Amino acid sequence: MKPVDTSLFGSVLRIEKTSIHDGTGLRTVVFLKGCPLQCLWCSTPESQSALPQKGYARDRCTLCGTCIEACPRHALRLSEDGTRIVTDTEKCDACFECVKKCPSRAMKAYGSLMSVAEVVREIAKDEIFFFHSGGGVTISGGEPLDQADFVKAILLECRDRGIHRAIETSFFASWEKIEPLLPLLNLVHTDLKHPDPVQHKKLTGVDNTLIMENIRKADASPYRFDLVLRTPLIPGINDSEEALSGSAAFAKGLKKLKEVEFLAYHRLGLETYRNLGWEYPLEEIRTPDREFMLSKARFFKSKAPGITVKINGTPVAS
Amino acid sequence: MAQTEINPKYADRIEKLKEKLLTTYPEIDLEDAKILTESFLETQGEPLVLRKAKAFLKQCREKTVTIWDHELIVGNAGSKIRGGILSADVCWSVLNRELDTINTRAYDKFHLLPEDRKTFEDLIRPYWKGRSSYEEWLARIPADVAALRDNGALYIDKKAVRGWGEVTAGYEWFITNGVKGIVAKIEGEKAKLDATRPGDYEKEIYLDSLLIVAEGLVTLANRYADEAERLAAAEADPVRKAELLKIAGICRNVPEKPAATFQEALQSFYFYQISIFMEQNAAAYNPGRMDQYMYPFYRADLEEGRITPDQAQELLNCLWVKFSEQCLFQDAKSAEYASGYPMFQNLCAGGVDAQGRDAVNDLSYMILQATMDTQLYQPSLSVRYNMAKNPNSFLRKIVELIKLGTGFPAFHNDEVGIRMLMNKGIPIREALGWNPGGCVETNLAGKLRAYSALADINLGSVVEYVLLDGKCRKTGAQAGARTGNPLDFKTWADFEKALKEQLHYVIRVVVKASHIIDEICMNRPVPALSFSFEECITNAKDYAWGGAKYNTGNGIICIGVADLINSVAAIRYLVYGTKQLTMSRLLEALDADFAGYEDVLKLCSEAPKYGNDDVRADDLAADLFTFIADEIESYKSKFGTMTPGILPVSGNTPFGVEVGALPSGRRAWKPLADGVSPNGGTDFNGPGAVLKSVANIPHDRFVQGTLLNMKIAPEMLNTDNGITQLMALLKSLCSLGVYHVQFNVVDQAKLIDAQKHPEEYKGLLVRVAGYTAYFVELGKDVQDEIIARTVQTEATSAVSC
Repeated sequence: MKPVDTSLFGSVLRIEKTSIHDGTGLRTVVFLKGCPLQCLWCSTPESQSALPQKGYARDRCTLCGTCIEACPRHALRLSEDGTRIVTDTEKCDACFECVKKCPSRAMKAYGSLMSVAEVVREIAKDEIFFFHSGGGVTISGGEPLDQADFVKAILLECRDRGIHRAIETSFFASWEKIEPLLPLLNLVHTDLKHPDPVQHKKLTGVDNTLIMENIRKADASPYRFDLVLRTPLIPGINDSEEALSGSAAFAKGLKKLKEVEFLAYHRLGLETYRNLGWEYPLEEIRTPDREFMLSKARFFKSKAPGITVKINGTPVAS
Repeated sequence: MAQTEINPKYADRIEKLKEKLLTTYPEIDLEDAKILTESFLETQGEPLVLRKAKAFLKQCREKTVTIWDHELIVGNAGSKIRGGILSADVCWSVLNRELDTINTRAYDKFHLLPEDRKTFEDLIRPYWKGRSSYEEWLARIPADVAALRDNGALYIDKKAVRGWGEVTAGYEWFITNGVKGIVAKIEGEKAKLDATRPGDYEKEIYLDSLLIVAEGLVTLANRYADEAERLAAAEADPVRKAELLKIAGICRNVPEKPAATFQEALQSFYFYQISIFMEQNAAAYNPGRMDQYMYPFYRADLEEGRITPDQAQELLNCLWVKFSEQCLFQDAKSAEYASGYPMFQNLCAGGVDAQGRDAVNDLSYMILQATMDTQLYQPSLSVRYNMAKNPNSFLRKIVELIKLGTGFPAFHNDEVGIRMLMNKGIPIREALGWNPGGCVETNLAGKLRAYSALADINLGSVVEYVLLDGKCRKTGAQAGARTGNPLDFKTWADFEKALKEQLHYVIRVVVKASHIIDEICMNRPVPALSFSFEECITNAKDYAWGGAKYNTGNGIICIGVADLINSVAAIRYLVYGTKQLTMSRLLEALDADFAGYEDVLKLCSEAPKYGNDDVRADDLAADLFTFIADEIESYKSKFGTMTPGILPVSGNTPFGVEVGALPSGRRAWKPLADGVSPNGGTDFNGPGAVLKSVANIPHDRFVQGTLLNMKIAPEMLNTDNGITQLMALLKSLCSLGVYHVQFNVVDQAKLIDAQKHPEEYKGLLVRVAGYTAYFVELGKDVQDEIIARTVQTEATSAVSC
């Protein structure tokens, strides 16, 4: 067997430790950068572009000018009105010298290039927590399938160490990229953001035909993993009875399905939108409360009896 | 077992008892000191230990005896509900210094009534002037010790200003034998003596003093019985009348006879608890493993149909209120280091039995329930969690208590506790019976003597001394060793050598001081405490003189662990590793408290930090603390090997005031890190990474315990999955060999407060969408979002170490 190339580099947003939200037990979550979708409610907008990028927290900036001096490519300047630092994105190559020098943590680094070996070393640090919790690694994103070779190498290394392996993917990728990963996975989280292809495209920028087809194929594949379907529930956007009924009909046909999980829409990403200088696309939607989530989950359950339904990790009683 | 609401059957009584407690303002209580002084006036010329015993007997005969409404367990050490007792013979002068300020000082205020002040000025002060242990200590303190103390590197006076404490009496032995049984043993030993044999006269005096203590114990209980009968006669309510008559009967039986029922056992225990407190004011008279020694009584009552589980729970809750009544009186300085009238009566559930098997029983759960029900600051509730042997249901109950946010229980990894005892020289057969004492120290009921926390060493000062050639930045005085100008430290090895020399010096000075205190304490016999130490009787030798079965050298406590690690890690990384910073520029920046050196502050703040599972800092945790343990253990006292520990109580704050800016990026005069915890706001990788870092400290070698405070997000507590994962995290802690943890719940109230007072919460880290950030640096919209996601938990105050 060919040894794994652990010198392969990937674009990593960050690695989160002891997470309780991304699969069974305590998990180490590797967030990769780059995503072919652009969901309106995206809570990690800094994961969308493929390469490391810079953020700027205007509120923390004292306009001291340290960053302007630090930049080797002269990409930074004071804005015309003197209220903020402006980055010329053409010139900036994300060397993060400005981040290293900024005395007030106004300059932020989103992502870095890491080798397979480095990523696996971080994951393996947490083996004791996996052991006691039944946890493991979760490769998330962004879209992991955009860096399928990198992900495969990480999964192989983790398999050798007996680490439980999960992925969070949109399944918006060619089957050729997906299939080689499936035998290496114990758990697959995939989103069902909206069952209707037209709506799906409106909300995420892509049609869901390929996604639904890949889920069915993966479900029919001979590999042994659990499948979890997730729907981030955005009030007024994808919570209609029609949408939920459509999702339920789709879910009922899946053999590997372990559960369906609804995630309550939240706006914790706001800070990052600001730091990226992006408009937040869903400004006026409020966070749904528990009652709202319960009523939606119960409706779904009525359409797909026998399927385990969870809200943010907690099972919903029948 | 998932009950979290107090049972309505007894809620009313507990509420009333609690209300009486919470609405009573602490008062200085001089009754015991007054009687002690009067007795000493009567017994001049007699041997000291006999005089102590006679003073105790006189206290038992004359002290105020009150039974308060609704009580089922009775007794007070003093005359008041919330009294602070003065140990006049140890340290009368502490009160003398604070006569005018005791009710206005910053921490632990007390009322001092005019008549009490008069008693103090007319009787107590005139007699004890020139005769107290504290005065002896002040007269004998060597210059090098005083230099460290006066420049903030050492806190060592506390043992001279209070009694022994830091001990677990032989409660089980006391309750099961009764005073009568113990007296028979004393008589037996006495019969072996021959007054013509050298040494036997002293033994006879000692055993006689124990017999006088016995008389006192029985006298006191009978006076409570009389009072209960008196109250019963006047009581109109037939239910209360019956309760009082039952109390009277119990007080006639115990502690004189072996306890026969659960209530008798609890009452016998509490009589003894107040007795040793009457003898000497001190913190940490630790009840220890109550779920073990009370269980046979509970089980027998249940089997005989004498009690229901609800009734037993009510009795425990009543006892819990009693634990919270007594207030520790200490001087203003000591109160700064451990504030909150901290009695530290450490009571423990769980662990293994003498055969190494699971020791969790129904009482273990009920003890946790009592703390849930009462939510008071005492007892200091601990668990010994044995991962291999204790059931998950017990761990789950522990997490449910953690969830209440009171800071209890202190979670102890049983296997490490057992190893600590063994490292104190106690064979495994007995080490299995260990219990946490005080804060997180290790103890053994009725068998072990030491000051478990004699002196606190300020590790922040040690760093400062290395960088200033032994000088204190605040005072400019030469306090540490001369280890050379740091500009001459050309290599990391040079720096490391100077650091270890400073550590060596400070530890050496502390050991000398400890020996002096040991000598002074030979004149501080405690016959009432020694009464429950079997070997004190068979050796006819007081606890203070080393009569207990096991004796160890005193505890030397390290404070500022993370400050030391992070400062040294920053220097190694920035000055000798990446060479981004020169030593001279670092020294300038520290001298200026980083003002005008923002770039240096940034480099220091972003250097590798302990608490992130980063080997660039964590290897120093292992190396430096192995060195410190080696150093401390290289000394012996007349009682045994000196013992290291890491438990700050609240000493990290006053120590911080003595230390200027540090290479870790900590600003001048700010608090140091507590226990083995990371510096606030420097751990970005979640609780698992904290545990991984903390595991690098050689915990089992710090035999007086190591203390870890962790903040916990509500997400770990408000869902079933979160609770399960917290249980897994605690098991991981055990596997990693970390000794202890206690949790602060970051609840909604705390976050709202942080929004209002951001300057006080600079280091508060929260998890946002998949990343960790400083809460106060987030936009208000995101803060609100995070607040909305936390479930309201009731905030209750507790004293944690």
